[in-house]
Amino acid sequence: MKALMSLGALIGVAGLLLLAGMIFNVIPSSTVRLVEGYMPMQMLFELTCFVAGFAGLSYMMSAMGMPLSRFWQGIGFWAFILLYLKYRVYPPIPFSVRAMYGTVSLVAVFMWVSASEEDWKKFKQPIMNVLDAQTGMNKLLRYMYLVLLPILIGGFSYNAMMPKSEEPIELRTVHPAPPASTKVHGKTYTLQTSQNPYRVNPEGKYDQDFTNANIVEQGMGRLMKPNANPWDDKNQGYLKYVREGGEIFFQNCHFCHGDNLNGRGLHAFAFNPIPANFTDPGTIAQLQETFIFWRVSKGGIGLPNEGFPWASVMPPWEQHLTVDEIWKVILFEYWHTGYYPRTWD
Amino acid sequence: MMDSITQKAGIIAAAAFGVVLVSSAGYSIVSAQGLPEGFKKGDLAPEPSAEMIEAGKRVYFTKCVWCHGVDGAGDGPGADRLWPRPRNFNQGTFKIRHTASGELPLFDAKKPVPGQNDLFETVTHGLPGSAMPPWEGILTEEQRLQVLSFVTTQLVKDRKFTDKQTETQTVLQLAELKAKPATDESKKRGSELVVEKKCVECHGMEGRGDGNAFNLKDDWGFSIQPADWHKCWNFRGSRQDPYNVGNIFRTFSTGVNGTPMPSFADNTTVDERWDIANFVNSLCERDALGNPLPIDPLTDKPKINFVIPSDMVEGEIPTDIGHEAWQKAPKRYVAMGGQITHKPRNFVNRIDDIWVRSLYNDKSIVYLLEWDDRTKSVAEGKLPWAPTQVNIDVKEQDPKTGEEGSIAAHQNNYTVYNDAIAIETAVKWKELPAPIKPRYLFGTNDQFPVDIVKWEADGSLRAFKGTGWDKDFEERDNYEESMKLLKGEWKDGRWYVMIQRPLGNKKDQDYDEDTFFEVGQYIPTVFFAWDGHNGDAGRKMAVSAFFYTFMNPPIPRETYIYPAVIAVGVVLLEGWVLTRRANKKKGKTL
Repeated sequence: MKALMSLGALIGVAGLLLLAGMIFNVIPSSTVRLVEGYMPMQMLFELTCFVAGFAGLSYMMSAMGMPLSRFWQGIGFWAFILLYLKYRVYPPIPFSVRAMYGTVSLVAVFMWVSASEEDWKKFKQPIMNVLDAQTGMNKLLRYMYLVLLPILIGGFSYNAMMPKSEEPIELRTVHPAPPASTKVHGKTYTLQTSQNPYRVNPEGKYDQDFTNANIVEQGMGRLMKPNANPWDDKNQGYLKYVREGGEIFFQNCHFCHGDNLNGRGLHAFAFNPIPANFTDPGTIAQLQETFIFWRVSKGGIGLPNEGFPWASVMPPWEQHLTVDEIWKVILFEYWHTGYYPRTWD
Repeated sequence: MMDSITQKAGIIAAAAFGVVLVSSAGYSIVSAQGLPEGFKKGDLAPEPSAEMIEAGKRVYFTKCVWCHGVDGAGDGPGADRLWPRPRNFNQGTFKIRHTASGELPLFDAKKPVPGQNDLFETVTHGLPGSAMPPWEGILTEEQRLQVLSFVTTQLVKDRKFTDKQTETQTVLQLAELKAKPATDESKKRGSELVVEKKCVECHGMEGRGDGNAFNLKDDWGFSIQPADWHKCWNFRGSRQDPYNVGNIFRTFSTGVNGTPMPSFADNTTVDERWDIANFVNSLCERDALGNPLPIDPLTDKPKINFVIPSDMVEGEIPTDIGHEAWQKAPKRYVAMGGQITHKPRNFVNRIDDIWVRSLYNDKSIVYLLEWDDRTKSVAEGKLPWAPTQVNIDVKEQDPKTGEEGSIAAHQNNYTVYNDAIAIETAVKWKELPAPIKPRYLFGTNDQFPVDIVKWEADGSLRAFKGTGWDKDFEERDNYEESMKLLKGEWKDGRWYVMIQRPLGNKKDQDYDEDTFFEVGQYIPTVFFAWDGHNGDAGRKMAVSAFFYTFMNPPIPRETYIYPAVIAVGVVLLEGWVLTRRANKKKGKTL
């Protein structure tokens, strides 16, 4: 038991040191990267480790005769969560989301400290001590609170009332509902029944299983399958079309969507919302190919009314590309990111 | 206290510098081995293993081939619409190095150590200002080393990284050279040295890259422009750490292979190089307090604030930029991208940011727009289309032309049009239910048009109505009376334009055509910019995203009253809690 607890304590201390290093920028927060797509799981896992570590730590401390009161445990743990969200998680998450997580964890901490009558009493005790002011130290604290609280709250409300020019919060429809059909270059395409004519097997038949077997491999780098190089001159069919789609992508799309299709192209920094990141599991991976076909053909200008705020700079590509070229680019995007297009059934 | 210490350090450094200067007078600046100061001989790295090269090929043909081409000649499908063009690896010419001018860069497939592996760092951090992105987080360290093993052995064809007969490595010992503190003294010395060493001949008197802007060519015959020292985040060698003076010191010491930028290692001392680096670094844009701008880790450019605040002034709005009101007005960085929605598309926009400030009084609002443009362009003769025409006949770049027809080859050969800037604001923005903005780019339709105020380098200031992304503008008839150009000046690579327009009221202006500005409201605003020497005209231009103009209201009296009331309330509450507690305890003990 003791050994287990000391191991836990060790983890706790190591975690605290790591976090402190990240706060003071000694350790870059990108040291242990959160892996794209697995971020929530990874965070939960890390936090679980820390909880175990802290349990061990507090056990060890009370065993060594320096117990930490429930009051400070609660406050300390909450502060830890806030700092973890701010400094550990990379890429950084916006304040509004952190505030939400912070509130949820505050509630959780409260539930923890008030789990039983006795716990709650233990938690309140330091507060009551200060209120009662039996010792000199507590007296001093009480007067400090008496003076500081009104000043702080007054200051905060002054700050809040100062007119500010902060960016207004903007709601955004990420994937608006598509129309039933779309007309491109004079031909009508029904979204539910249309198929990418280049998603074919060697016999020239539409075949998702075949093409899915030839896309890049998932995992860091997302590299092509060793014997499925689109730049092989002998290619016919699917891989040849992938290459042609790639050529179109790198002549038209990479300026915004980036060389790695991650929305970080040459011009991306200027736009808001920033261009879609196709490597994110939330974009093309959860959409049908025909949905992409509609969005690519019609662009930001073709968004339905509920697709506000209409700030998308996505061109209506039917102006620049033929229908065949659009289908090939879509083929390439799925190949390069290693995602399977969603099907209607 | 701190100040006096740095001052002292500066004086000591300056004194030391004087000693160096005296002692080195009359000698050329080389060490005993015949190497330039700060350099040491290095060894060629061993050849990467065959497995590394084979694995690298797979990375290359997944990620790199699209721009750099099958043979690494920088001629992939994306190449012809890019400027600068993707690197042609065949000659073994690489820009960012720790090695002496003309030498191959450092690369060791087994040693991904910062400062000792130039190519690895280039792939890791990318080359900002070009299309080369940072590959960190996309490719693993191993994969980056693999692909470089492939490139250095298979695609560099004219030179060999392991050939002791032909290749040498003279390595800048950057880690061992302690940076000189950036004192005023050092920066002043640097400012004199950039003139003495003729840096300003290419980089311009203010370092905006506007000297000799037309005649510089790289090794492959393509036009190339000198770096703009005010945008350090666009330095190719900035390594995602743009305000780090060491990067400038390195580039200045080693030169940039393949370009007209020479190495200054042979004719400057290390101390002089630090002075120059400190000075160049000090020019990079900073905030009002002189601190580096916060850099967005996702884009490696300054963070963008989409609200352009406008401060109120009493009486006339000053036209002098040095005036206190302008100096105090917050400055906003407006990032610009190429317009690639409508034909003709602008794949290479030479204006990538503008700086905007604004002031208002009871009648008008003034925008002060400043942006770096290496060339002042005024069209010769009459333009072949009407100013309102948007759908103009400028040919767009073909996707695949070969080197001769590429965008890079066109640079400085375009027909010159007017430099121009435009501010687009939404008309009747109040009726657009929040958060809906007008449709990008030229307004929604006849019912919700946009108001476009456009200044051109020929001195004209016009107002147009935009009624849809594919519609020509409609010229407005009353612009001359209401708008005013307060300033339109190009100096040392930078435009300074000040445009005044009325706030708008129902008596003098037309509500259906004009944007009415109201205090404390967010008014959708977009900026357009044209560089005449880039052949920009019509829709071939640079565009910003939607910003907001926000006229800061004067501070209301309530701001001071309510917090005081709240504070008093808290004191009362405290008293109540304490008495209650005391009573409760008394009750218990009784």
